[in-house]
Amino acid sequence: MSISVMNSTEGSRQIRKTVIVYLILTAVAIAVANIYVQFGHGVRSAAMTLMFLYPLLGGALFYFTLGLIIPRISDRRNYRLFYNIYNSGIAVLTVGSLLKGILDIAGTASGYVQLFQVAGWAGAAAGLVCLIAMVFKRRELS
Amino acid sequence: MKKFLSKPYRWAAVLAVLLILSFVFVLLDTFVIPKNMTEVKQREAAETAEQQNTASEQQSAAEGPSESGSETEAAVTDHSYQDKNTKITIDTVQAYDTTFYVADIRLSDASYLKTALAENSFGRNLKETTSDMAEEHQAIFAVNGDYYGFRNNGYVLRNGVLYRDTARQAGNDEALVIDGHGDFSIINENAVSADSLTNTWQVLSFGPALIKNGEIVVDSTSEVSQSKNSNPRTAIGQVSGLHYIVIVSDGRTEESAGLSLLELAQEFAERGCTVAYNLDGGGSSTMYFNGEIVNHPTDGRSSQQREVSDIVYIGNE
Repeated sequence: MSISVMNSTEGSRQIRKTVIVYLILTAVAIAVANIYVQFGHGVRSAAMTLMFLYPLLGGALFYFTLGLIIPRISDRRNYRLFYNIYNSGIAVLTVGSLLKGILDIAGTASGYVQLFQVAGWAGAAAGLVCLIAMVFKRRELS
Repeated sequence: MKKFLSKPYRWAAVLAVLLILSFVFVLLDTFVIPKNMTEVKQREAAETAEQQNTASEQQSAAEGPSESGSETEAAVTDHSYQDKNTKITIDTVQAYDTTFYVADIRLSDASYLKTALAENSFGRNLKETTSDMAEEHQAIFAVNGDYYGFRNNGYVLRNGVLYRDTARQAGNDEALVIDGHGDFSIINENAVSADSLTNTWQVLSFGPALIKNGEIVVDSTSEVSQSKNSNPRTAIGQVSGLHYIVIVSDGRTEESAGLSLLELAQEFAERGCTVAYNLDGGGSSTMYFNGEIVNHPTDGRSSQQREVSDIVYIGNE
């Protein structure tokens, strides 16, 4: 078996593992939202209810699509940088959404929640910039 | 740094720690850490010095309540109080699968309808129980207020002193204005600036308004923010000059489901209120009368008074 095939297999496994982790996190987000609503006397918040969309769409679906379009993306140099920054953005967005939901249900608000939103989107955007740079650099080299 | 973070999972670990710390900080800042504190006495002294003419006009109409209050003889029972300035009767009503308590209050002067702040200071996350604040101010009767300290906006004007003039931005912005004659009116904070409220005794900012100009203005779909339909409630209304109705309901228990806003408004309408306004409910709802808690405060999990930031009370102090 050639090294390139082995790397491809390893890369696919890495992407697959990421997708699975994000699906688990999606399930956790849904569970947390439903449990919190129970303790909150049925009071709901859109931020809490929809918090699962960040790991689902921004995580699982994104990496699944990425793995289909660029199967060996994880083999590339600087993949780790993109991976860390982008995942950080998704994590911050998810936690920020949880926080907003808690405050909404309690009937209050905090200006700090917006910082989570800004930092989260900035992280996700920075990650995408790294990804695009990776793709274009590879094309230049080829 | 780069070498440190390049190791597997270290970036995730550092991020996790930062996220947890940030999360906890925001929760503490929102719910626990007291801030922006201003002592009530200091502010009242400063405002009184600036508004001496207005205060003396009110005082002449009020006939010096603190002096007369201490000499007032009162007839007191478990459900009523009467002296020459104040008459209060408390009725217990069972309706809508709920027990609620109706206080009928008649005063000789608006200055007996007072408010008090937790720890006698204005600020965020300053809290005391309704009964503690009532006892500190020797209240005859008290209910929880609008829990202003839970938010950073909403007008706060108490006993003639303006503490916060930031209007609420989202959702319902109706506020209850009680003028120097004790008459109620409803304003929209985004339409009326706090500075324009002259000769105003109290402003409470929670809502929504239940009755305006004698008409019920809520319906079966009305609710406070994200709340459930049936809840413990606290609300206050005016029947006529210096004649008020205060209702506090139980809720979130097997014995009492709680009232919807429409049901609450209907109770005020039946008693002839021309203006009625919803205050903070849920676990905050507390009625204090003659040294005792009248209702059964609960947030649905524990049966005890919730600490709140302010009360509305009837008293001489």
